[in-house]
Amino acid sequence: MSARVVATRIGDGVYRVDVDGRTEIVHVAGEQGQRWVHWNGQVFERPFAVAPRTRSARQPEGAQALSAPMPSTVRKVAVAPGTRVSKGDTLLVLEAMKMELPIRAAADGVVRAVHCREGELVQPGVTLIELDQRS
Amino acid sequence: MIKRLLIANRGEIAVRIARACREMGIESVAVFSDADAGAAHVVAADYAVRLGPAPATESYLNVRALLDAATSSGADAVHPGYGFLSENAGFARACRDAGLAFVGPPAEVIARMGSKIEARAVAISAGVPVVPGQTPADQTDEGLVDAIRLVGLPALIKASAGGGGRGMRQVHDFADAVAAIQSARREAEGAFRDGTLYVERLIERPHHVEVQIFADSHGQVVHLFERECSVQRRHQKVIEESPSPHLTPGLRQRMTDAAVRAARAAGYVNAGTFEFLVDLGHGAGDDTPFYFLEMNTRLQVEHPVTEQVTGVDMVRAQLLVASGLPLPWTQASLTQRGHAIEARIYAEDPSQAFIPQAGPLLLYREPRLPGVRVDSGFREGDQVPVHYDALLAKVIATAETRELATARLRQALRAFPILGIRTNIPFVIRVLDSEAFVAGTVHTGFLDHEGASLASAPAAEPPAFLRAALDAADLDGRTPGGPTAPRASDPWDRVSGWSVR
Repeated sequence: MSARVVATRIGDGVYRVDVDGRTEIVHVAGEQGQRWVHWNGQVFERPFAVAPRTRSARQPEGAQALSAPMPSTVRKVAVAPGTRVSKGDTLLVLEAMKMELPIRAAADGVVRAVHCREGELVQPGVTLIELDQRS
Repeated sequence: MIKRLLIANRGEIAVRIARACREMGIESVAVFSDADAGAAHVVAADYAVRLGPAPATESYLNVRALLDAATSSGADAVHPGYGFLSENAGFARACRDAGLAFVGPPAEVIARMGSKIEARAVAISAGVPVVPGQTPADQTDEGLVDAIRLVGLPALIKASAGGGGRGMRQVHDFADAVAAIQSARREAEGAFRDGTLYVERLIERPHHVEVQIFADSHGQVVHLFERECSVQRRHQKVIEESPSPHLTPGLRQRMTDAAVRAARAAGYVNAGTFEFLVDLGHGAGDDTPFYFLEMNTRLQVEHPVTEQVTGVDMVRAQLLVASGLPLPWTQASLTQRGHAIEARIYAEDPSQAFIPQAGPLLLYREPRLPGVRVDSGFREGDQVPVHYDALLAKVIATAETRELATARLRQALRAFPILGIRTNIPFVIRVLDSEAFVAGTVHTGFLDHEGASLASAPAAEPPAFLRAALDAADLDGRTPGGPTAPRASDPWDRVSGWSVR
């Protein structure tokens, strides 16, 4: 038996959802396909959507591209092309909102390229360091 | 009396100060960077002056620009808020030299109490116990490692000029000492333009209890009881409350007496806070040991919990004292009533090491509930800029007991939808629900150790009925942050040339 569910728009981004007579208030924002939903203190990003986990197809096996998780300033570049690094070594120190954010090697390897300078403001998703992993 | 106050800050605290000004008939002047031209604090004030580009060093930390703004706007006083230049003695001195009343203690007192060495000396002279520690004269890596050896492991490295957890690192092993020293120094230089480091013995599992004091320039010093701020993540407070669930009347008396004595010894004027570590290792009692940690020579983020339980307006009192008037209260007139708990709402992602988030507040609706106060610096549609601290709002719940205040806060947080950017609200709700918080046994390291799993709760499955709301949203196509017609240039975005007769 399925529940009887009726949703009614009651305000800008606010929906009353009646679930078998019980009322739930749901907030919705964002574009279709990029929705954010709030219900009772919980936030869901793109609920019911299958998040496509695409990795760069051309990236060679054993290589790792590191990028900033958010807009930030490069505070320190600790490596140069050719530097041998061990898993956990700090490669870069970023600073965002006055907090330091170390970017560490996820595996042993050799730095192939460094695409940022100290003091530079970097955007998320842009490759900052390329690492060849030692297998 | 101050007539026109320049608020040298942004966000919720600038809004808070502007509101106090309105109530008192004082004109307020907001300052803003290019990232904040339409921010809530600009709207809250009577005048607004641009400081410069978005980076804080070119705007909210730019002393020259702030003084120019004060001069051009005809301000006669400056309120520094918290953070930024609030504990910068040079700024306080520059204000005084420019003929501006600085809403805070005199520059000399900021310098004295902001220096961890001198503040300790003041505390010791007032008979207040302190934690073993030192600022080595030799500030090289080797000098600091030697200092760590002297105070003993585990040790804590701190920015001598700092506060708010910045430039602070724990050292449990000498192998990690140099990396911690270098990282702390860089962060200290970035945040305070002063890389001097202080090293002290780390007291494990302590409770952080601080005493609010207030002094006027007529010799009156009072305390406004304590705040328990043990719910911290990497020394950044998350939840604060008053009263502390741990102080017996005897311990409260000892701690508040110590704070008032130290404030007198420091020659303190205006609002200040003495932070103490309370060692509850042997249980809570009248004789529980406590240690002076540091003093904050400014209004604090968590001042609302004190306002809620004492029923006073601390910003108003700050402005009266800065005008040379006596405090509006006596110690006997101050009482603690009920219980208040504050949650700091940050734009950050608890599941990804609390990385600060910047982005749009597509939907942002503050809770309106009995006994709930929200101090905030953002509105729906605002962008949270990348350049500053990620504090969005503070939610303060007040009720008769700690249990009722907790229930009230939990309800308020559930009714605070913020969409478009990740926040710590789901995390704070989990903390409030945790056994340790309910029992009051959270110590300052709890969230970094025993309670670390609270940060990364498994992603909940969205309840199936949410799909109905999404379908409805798809149908009406009018959700906040949804597609709108592109507005390359709207003639009403900027209108000039009008004159008012």
